[in-house]
Amino acid sequence: MLKQLVDLLENKENGLSLSEISRAMKAQPSAVLSMIDLLVQKGKLIEIGPDGKCCTTCGAQSDCNLLAARGKRYMVKPQN
Amino acid sequence: MTTSSMQSLFRLDYGGKMERAIERMLAAFEENKFDTGRYPRRWLAIKLLEGDADILSRVQSMQGGAQIIALAQQNAEHLKSMLGDEVDLLTADRRYGYINGIVRQSLQRPLMDRITLTDRIDDIVTHKWLGLPFFFMIMYVIFRLVIDVSAPFLDWTDAVINGPIAHLFSFILNLITAPAWIHSLVIDGIVAGVGGVLVFVPGLLILYFFLALLEDSGYMSRAAFVMDRFMRVVGLHGKSFIPMILGFGCAVPAIYATRTIASRRDRVLTALLVPLMSCSARLPVYVVFGLAFFGARAGTVIWAMYALGIIVAMLAGMVFTRTILKPDASSAFVLELPPYRQPALKSVLIHMWENTREFVRKAGTTILFASLVMWLLLNMPWGVTNQRDSYFGKVSGMIAPVFAPLGFGNWQTSGALVTGFMAKEIVVSTMSQVYLSGEDAVTSEPLTFGEEMTGTGKGFITASIDSGKILLSILPGVDLIPADEAADDTALSHALQGQFTPLSAMSMLVFVLLYVPCAATLGAIKHEFGTSWAVISAVYQTSVAWIVALIVYQGGMLLGFG
Repeated sequence: MLKQLVDLLENKENGLSLSEISRAMKAQPSAVLSMIDLLVQKGKLIEIGPDGKCCTTCGAQSDCNLLAARGKRYMVKPQN
Repeated sequence: MTTSSMQSLFRLDYGGKMERAIERMLAAFEENKFDTGRYPRRWLAIKLLEGDADILSRVQSMQGGAQIIALAQQNAEHLKSMLGDEVDLLTADRRYGYINGIVRQSLQRPLMDRITLTDRIDDIVTHKWLGLPFFFMIMYVIFRLVIDVSAPFLDWTDAVINGPIAHLFSFILNLITAPAWIHSLVIDGIVAGVGGVLVFVPGLLILYFFLALLEDSGYMSRAAFVMDRFMRVVGLHGKSFIPMILGFGCAVPAIYATRTIASRRDRVLTALLVPLMSCSARLPVYVVFGLAFFGARAGTVIWAMYALGIIVAMLAGMVFTRTILKPDASSAFVLELPPYRQPALKSVLIHMWENTREFVRKAGTTILFASLVMWLLLNMPWGVTNQRDSYFGKVSGMIAPVFAPLGFGNWQTSGALVTGFMAKEIVVSTMSQVYLSGEDAVTSEPLTFGEEMTGTGKGFITASIDSGKILLSILPGVDLIPADEAADDTALSHALQGQFTPLSAMSMLVFVLLYVPCAATLGAIKHEFGTSWAVISAVYQTSVAWIVALIVYQGGMLLGFG
């Protein structure tokens, strides 16, 4: 399932939202979220804002209206 | 339900490579007398492989903990290099996959509009009616590839063993002026016996390559799923097919793999059927007879042997289910169908090498020992000139009438079949010793060391080109191999042509497929289920083998194939 999730996000330039991922994987968002959390923690995925920018580089995450309104997106961590 | 009974019912299977690493950790606990304290042993082994920081710090402070941690890290690195991910991600992946399997089988959702590529492929390969033919077609293509593509390399290996290697041993023996009996022991005993088995290494490399491809691509789970449906019809448990698939490699780990089945009755039944799956040790026998008697149809005949093994296992399962192993309450079969993925070449190559290395190791131990014993028996009483008068010849001659109705009642074949009880490859090494001793390759025109090395190199290049042509010829409309060049014989295949007819060869193959499991397999059955089940396994398989081979031979004679 984790591999399937990473494969799904591979080559998605603007990433996918939680609801898009759970729809594609035919699974409940709550179940998918725990997988995403693990993959983010392991450095396989990164969280990005709705505009495609990486949330981790922004200091205003908790106050971000855009994020609050449209939710996080996730993408595969680019190789350096 | 108590905790212990729940544990005995449920144990998540983390997949072949991971399970082997867990087994190694458990064995290390035993060897080092490592007390896991309040932690369940398997759970602790998994946590150590995952590199759980909290557990690592606790184990570090335990007696012998540092050594166990070092071993866990070594195993985790090995898994990472093979599977391309950290162990904690791999185990989490398996757990999520298992949960997903349960949800899919127990929860009905409205049809979603998005159908993945995996779903599309699964519609065909796990289809109620198409799934089974598709599985057999895949196996057929693989065995055709194994036999056809490996044939030129098989000839090359045969030529190298009977040429430069035999010459080298002969040269050394002449140099030290070794007596004639030592010369005979080395050339007729060791080189003919061990070499006769090592010839098949190229074929095994290709077989394991394709089995690894099937496993890593995710198709093996589909095969188990397809067979599950079929096996339930004949009263078997779906989980039984997973050990059976392992049985295509070797029956010994397959017998131990039955531990994942909860019910003892299902475990025993599966263990009785696993040896009917054609293990890789039987492949050399099939190849020798296939090339000698069936030429371009050798691949089809070998595929038929594998299919026959499965069919007989199904029928035997039906009989056991209705007699001594009546079914108890069946537990649910939950199987994860992972998405298809592109196999990693490195993982496939490691898998291929690890399995082939085991075959080569056995050639250097069990088969070497058996070859030495065989040579002694063929040359005792000391000075015997005719092998028929040796101890081996006399004992084999006494057994031979049992096989006469099956079409191969000669002392040579009877003896080879008896020695095959130690390991099935030994049937070939014994036949090599019996039929090829005296056919001294060393008497040919002597070549210099340089000429031999050049010839070996050229032979390898020619074999590579021929294999490439055969591989391309599999494509529709491509024919690069003239009909008269297809499928060359090994030295043993050639020698056998005077001893068997195609019908008696077929009967012999059927007997080798079905008769008594090798000593190591019976040992595993005895270890897991006790002596009585090991005896039942040996007796029923040999009886079935004799009856089916009799039907093949006598039926063939009646139909005019003799």
